[in-house]
Amino acid sequence: MSLSTDIWVWIGAFLTFCIYSFLYKDNPLYKFGEHLYVGVANGWSLAFMYLRVIKPVMVQPFGEACRITAQEGLRAELFNPMAPANFLVIIPGLIGCLYFTRFIPGQAWLVRFPIGIFMGYYTGVAVPAVIEGSMFPQMKGSMVTLAKFDAASGGGFWSGIFAIIVLLGVLATLTYFFFSKEHKGITKVGAQTGIVFVMIAFGASFGFTVMARVSLAIGRMVFLLRDWLGIVS
Amino acid sequence: MNWDRFASLDRRYIFLLMALVIIIPILVPMNITMGTMRVTQDLFDTVDAIDRTKQALMISSDYTPQTEAENHPMIIALLRHAFARRIPVLINALYVEGAPLLDQALKQVTAEFNARATSHADSIIYGRDAVYLGWQPPPIVPILSMGQSIRGIYPVDYYGTRTDSLALTQWTHNYDQVGIVVAITSGTSPLWYVMYAQPKYGVKVGGGCTAVNAPDFYPYCETGQLSGIMAGMKGAAEYEALVAEKFDLEDRRKATEAMASQSAAHVLMMVLIVIGNIAFFATRGRKS
Amino acid sequence: MREKLPLALLIIMGLFGLAYRFMPHPGAEAFNSYLRDTLLRIISAFALILGLGNLLLRHAHRIQKREQDWVHSWVLILGFGLTAIIGLLGGVAGEGSLPTKVGNFSFNITDIYNGLLIPLGASMFSLLAFYMASAAYRSFRAKTWLAAALLLSAFIVMLGQVPLGYQISPAIPQVTQWIMEVPNTAAKRGIELGITLGVLATFLKILAGIERSWLGSGR
Repeated sequence: MSLSTDIWVWIGAFLTFCIYSFLYKDNPLYKFGEHLYVGVANGWSLAFMYLRVIKPVMVQPFGEACRITAQEGLRAELFNPMAPANFLVIIPGLIGCLYFTRFIPGQAWLVRFPIGIFMGYYTGVAVPAVIEGSMFPQMKGSMVTLAKFDAASGGGFWSGIFAIIVLLGVLATLTYFFFSKEHKGITKVGAQTGIVFVMIAFGASFGFTVMARVSLAIGRMVFLLRDWLGIVS
Repeated sequence: MNWDRFASLDRRYIFLLMALVIIIPILVPMNITMGTMRVTQDLFDTVDAIDRTKQALMISSDYTPQTEAENHPMIIALLRHAFARRIPVLINALYVEGAPLLDQALKQVTAEFNARATSHADSIIYGRDAVYLGWQPPPIVPILSMGQSIRGIYPVDYYGTRTDSLALTQWTHNYDQVGIVVAITSGTSPLWYVMYAQPKYGVKVGGGCTAVNAPDFYPYCETGQLSGIMAGMKGAAEYEALVAEKFDLEDRRKATEAMASQSAAHVLMMVLIVIGNIAFFATRGRKS
Repeated sequence: MREKLPLALLIIMGLFGLAYRFMPHPGAEAFNSYLRDTLLRIISAFALILGLGNLLLRHAHRIQKREQDWVHSWVLILGFGLTAIIGLLGGVAGEGSLPTKVGNFSFNITDIYNGLLIPLGASMFSLLAFYMASAAYRSFRAKTWLAAALLLSAFIVMLGQVPLGYQISPAIPQVTQWIMEVPNTAAKRGIELGITLGVLATFLKILAGIERSWLGSGR
């Protein structure tokens, strides 16, 4: 056993136990760790975001444009938005500042501008992306073709049978979640088949979730036993 | 047997049991053998097939410290694979919280390979063999913009160096020079690449995901939209094994080491579920 | 005016976003690049600052009103403030103007990240392993045959996911693979298609100006 001499490892071990104390019961140590995490994470994000985004993309180009103006006077290319030094880069900053108007009574409606710009663009980009990237390929993948039965194309008899099962499963699942029509007759058969597929899928998801959660606990235990206590190499 | 005691068992005993089954296999290492899932093999084969003279491997990450234990071994294994095959690597972070973890991974694997290197040509040189592009928000911006110009969206790398001064980024202009983007994620970022980058730019996409999200990616693997995934810690362990076997590497395999604890914890879960059900039905039968 | 102008802006930006996919013209590509790489990137950075501001205001209010756990709000605010100052003035790796080293002890934001954020974040999520075990013991009941099917699928996948399953029989991982590639794919694809259609409908309603909940109450 060789205890770590790194202060940060000891701090990390202490904080790990603070969080794990919640397993016994809720207590001030856990709340301390929880609040510390939120505070430090947000402080870290703010610093990183300023140093790597706002400063190089906005502050430095604007500052450079001011410096050039002070030394050489105003020039047309300082109003070119694509130029490395330009004044127009302040416009997105001013639009971004409109976010803070939500705290000003009577002026909160101005927050709609940056939200509208942001949401509008990404909604527009998302529409063809969702259709082309998700909907059509997944529908195409559900279809059973002769290629699925053809060994030369990477298929085979059982591949074809499983493809039929997948198609039936997709249709059955969609039927189960279709609530605009009462589940009677053929719809009921489809819905009941669908729920079987859904249950098997959720069971598989649970099985994977177990591994995911246990992995995280293993990671912490390895940190305590190896990095802190030095019990394992 | 008094099943009432089992039915009302204090959960802290269960916590203790779980801790023990995780700790004991760590203290007593065991040799384990495991197979390889098809999706992991497919990813390995796709990365292995990159023409290193014309294309680079892009590793895009949005995992955070919360899922470091699961995702970190994935990027380590990928970097080892790339460096062993001398495939140039571009790394970017989609979420700020995970950005330093990629730096750690790159430095660790670079040090591993440089410890074995016998010449400058053999060594992993930052700027020539790998570049860490850094982080730019929001995630969708670099995914879309890299289709036109990688240097345009990343004018400086993570360390503040101008990307037009680095050898690798001088010839990797956009997705045309990327053999595959492998998105290591605790969310669904491989699907963002599949939806936003793949239809327009045709780039191949792979994934390294937490086990929670892995079932959601199988439909995309089946259609070929994802060239393969590492599903959780098991996927990472499989990839580690494939890399170690092909390139005869002796480096530490953290995901593989954790598999014994995984096995024990899974068995405990199953035993708990069975006992819980027996206790439930036994006490229910008595009550009715 | 207060609704129409932002709505018009949203629709115009939406058209720009749509055009991005269908217009490979260099001019359109360059304009889209400017929109994304400068305009939207900076606006999203300010959105993050807004979120941080909200958080700090909430906790400052808690301290002021002496609400439950108000003392811990000081921990949050002080943690935030110190980290932000060290990061903004000290730089990512200590290259800034603020000295971030005392003797051999370094405390730049990268060290704070490794020493505080990783242990705290990883520990919090790792609690789930224990709670999941407890929840599975107490709640996972095979009361119906559907629940039993779920349990059976879970058991097979759990065994197939670990080396133990492979050592018991190589058939177990193969059955796991089949479950993932056939019934799981079918169900997940059906669910995904349903979600995709719903999401698409919502996006189109937003772009057409029919869905206006994002405008808020208008105060």
